[in-house]
Amino acid sequence: MTAADPDTALPLDPAARVPEAAAPGRWRRFARNLRNFARRSPLSAFWGCIAAAIIVIAIAAPLIAPYPPLKSDFRAMTKPPAAPHYFGTDQIGRDTLSRVIYGSRASLAVAIGAVLFGTTLGSLWGLASGYFGGRFDIVSQRIIEFLQSFPDLILAMAIAMALGAGFGTVIVAIAITRIPFGGRVIRAVVLSLKEMSYVEAARGLGASHLRMMARHILPQCIAPYLILATTHLGVAIIIEASLGFLGVGIPPPTPTWGNMLADSLNAGLVPPWWLVLFPGCAITLTVLAFSLLGDGIRDLVDPRLRGAVSVRGKGAAL
Amino acid sequence: MYGYILRRLVFGGLTVLGVSIVVFVVLRILPGDPLVAIFGPEGFTKLSDAERARYMADLGLSDPLVVQYLHWMGDILRGNLGRSFFRAESVADMLSRRGPLTAEIALIAVVLSWIVGIPVAIISALKPNSLGDNVSRFFSILFLAIPGFWFGMLIVLACLFWFGYRAPMAGASLFADPWTNLQLVIGPAVVLGLGQAAYIARMARSSLLEVIREDYVRTARAKGLPGRMVISLHALPNALLPVITLSGILVGFVLAGSIPVERAFAVPGLGFAMYIAVYERDVFVMQNLVFLYSIVFVVLNILIDVTIAWLDPRIRYR
Repeated sequence: MTAADPDTALPLDPAARVPEAAAPGRWRRFARNLRNFARRSPLSAFWGCIAAAIIVIAIAAPLIAPYPPLKSDFRAMTKPPAAPHYFGTDQIGRDTLSRVIYGSRASLAVAIGAVLFGTTLGSLWGLASGYFGGRFDIVSQRIIEFLQSFPDLILAMAIAMALGAGFGTVIVAIAITRIPFGGRVIRAVVLSLKEMSYVEAARGLGASHLRMMARHILPQCIAPYLILATTHLGVAIIIEASLGFLGVGIPPPTPTWGNMLADSLNAGLVPPWWLVLFPGCAITLTVLAFSLLGDGIRDLVDPRLRGAVSVRGKGAAL
Repeated sequence: MYGYILRRLVFGGLTVLGVSIVVFVVLRILPGDPLVAIFGPEGFTKLSDAERARYMADLGLSDPLVVQYLHWMGDILRGNLGRSFFRAESVADMLSRRGPLTAEIALIAVVLSWIVGIPVAIISALKPNSLGDNVSRFFSILFLAIPGFWFGMLIVLACLFWFGYRAPMAGASLFADPWTNLQLVIGPAVVLGLGQAAYIARMARSSLLEVIREDYVRTARAKGLPGRMVISLHALPNALLPVITLSGILVGFVLAGSIPVERAFAVPGLGFAMYIAVYERDVFVMQNLVFLYSIVFVVLNILIDVTIAWLDPRIRYR
C-alpha cells in the first residue's frame, strides 16, 4: 500500500491510517503463527531454530570466527584440536573452526542462490505450463523430462565444468538441476487449481490470463513452493559440497565445506581426522536442519502434499 | 503389453536423442574454450592465432555446430568413444576396465538398500509412532542428510585407526581375484546402499501405511490370518510397486553418487575416471561418459517401467 500524500489526505482518512495500524497487527499475527507452529511441531521448530542459527553464523562469520580463514600459522601446522585452535589446523596452519564458520557462507549463499533461481524459475514455468496446457505444456514436459534424465550431480558437474569454476557458475549449475522439480510439483498443483470454481468464476468475470495467474493461482502455489524450496536447500548444499570435493566447485582458497574435505585428502597419505570430521558434520547438520524444517512446514501447511514433494525422486511423478 | 513396451521404447529413443542434445549444448556450446581446458590458461595465451585455428580445425571444433553434433553421433554409433587428451586411456578402455567395478558397486548397493530398507519399513509401518518407528525414521532422515563421500572418508579413516586396515589400491577383476575385488567394492557399496536404504525405507513405509488401510487387507485380517502373513502375502506385494519405481531412479543416483564416493575410497572405477575427467577438464571424455551414464539411466527406467506394467496391469492401459 502506498502512503497517501500528507497534503491531500484528510487526517481521518482510513487509507492514510492503515499503514501504521496494520504493521503491528501483521507482526502480531506473524508471531502468533510462529507460536502455533512451535506448539504443533516442537521438533520442527527446534530444527528451524538451528537453521536460523546457521544463517546467523554465516552472516556474522567475521565477528564469530576466532581467526581469519585464510591466515596461515606456520608454527601450528596440522595440529589436532587443542586450546587455541578448537577444531585443529590444516596442513598450512589455517584454523579449521574459522574455516568451517566461513564455509557456511559459501554453502548457504550457493544453496539459497540456486534455489531462488532454479526452483523459482521452474515453479513459474510449471505455473505457465499447467495454466496454458496444450502444446506449450507438452513441449515443456518433454524438456523437463530430458533435464531429469540426468542424475542431478552429473548434470551439475558437466555444467560447472563447461562454464569454468566460480561462484556464479556453481549457482547456475545447481539451479539448472532444480528446475524440473519446481516445474513438476507446481504444474501438478496448478492443474488441480484450474478446476476450482473460484478460478472459473474469475474467468467468467473476464479476468486476463496474467491476472488469473498472478491473483488467483499464484497465492495457492506459495505453500508448496516454500516446502519445495526449503527441502531443496538441503539437496543444493549436498551437491555444492560434492562439486567442491570433486574440484569443480568454488575454487580454493575460498573455504567451502566441500573444498575443505577435498583439501584434507592432500594433507598427507592419511587425512587427519579433524579435517574430515568437522566440515562433514557442518554439512550434515545444515542439511538435516533444512530438510526437517521443510517437513515441518509441509505437515503444518498441507499434509496432503506428503507424497508430492519428495526430496529427490521424481516428485509428483511417483 | 507389447504395445506398451513399444511405446516406452520409442519414447526412450526420443529421450536419448534429447539427452544427447542437452549434453552437446552443455559441454560444447556453453562459453568456455576447449583449448583453454586442454592447454590451461597459461598455455593458451602462449599459442599464436594460427596455432589456435589449426588445433580447433584438428579437433573438428571449427565446423558448424550441427556438423559437429552429427560427427559426434556418428562416432558414438560406430562405437568410437574417443580418448582422453591427457592419458593413454581411451573411453572404451575405461569402460571395459573400470566399468565392472562401478557396476558391481551399484548392484550391491541396490540389493543392500532393499535388504535394509524393506524390513525397517515393515517394522515402522506395523506400529506407526512407536519407538521403533521413530528410531528408524530418525536414521532414514539422518542418512538422507549425510553426504555419502564424507561417510566414506570416515569409514576409511576409522578402518585405518582402529584396525590398521586399508583397502587395496589397485583394481582387480571379480573373476581373477575375487577377494581383492570384494575389498575394493564393499566400502562404496555399503555407503551408497545405506544412503539409498533411507529413501527406500521412507517410501516403503508410507506406501505400506496406505495399503494397510485398504479393504482387502482388512478382509484378510478378518478371516483370521495372522498379522505377519497379512503383511507379507497381501500388503507387501502391492506396497512394493512404487518402491520398485523409486529404486530405478535411485540407481541413477548411485551412479552419480559413486563419483565422489569412489574418490573418497580411491576405488579405480568409472566414477573415479569421471572425477579425473572433470578435474582435468577433459571435455570430450566427459561428454561421452555423461552421455553413457544417462543412456544407462534411461534404459534402466524403461526396464523398470515395463516391469511395473507387467506386475500391475492397470498401468498398461493408462
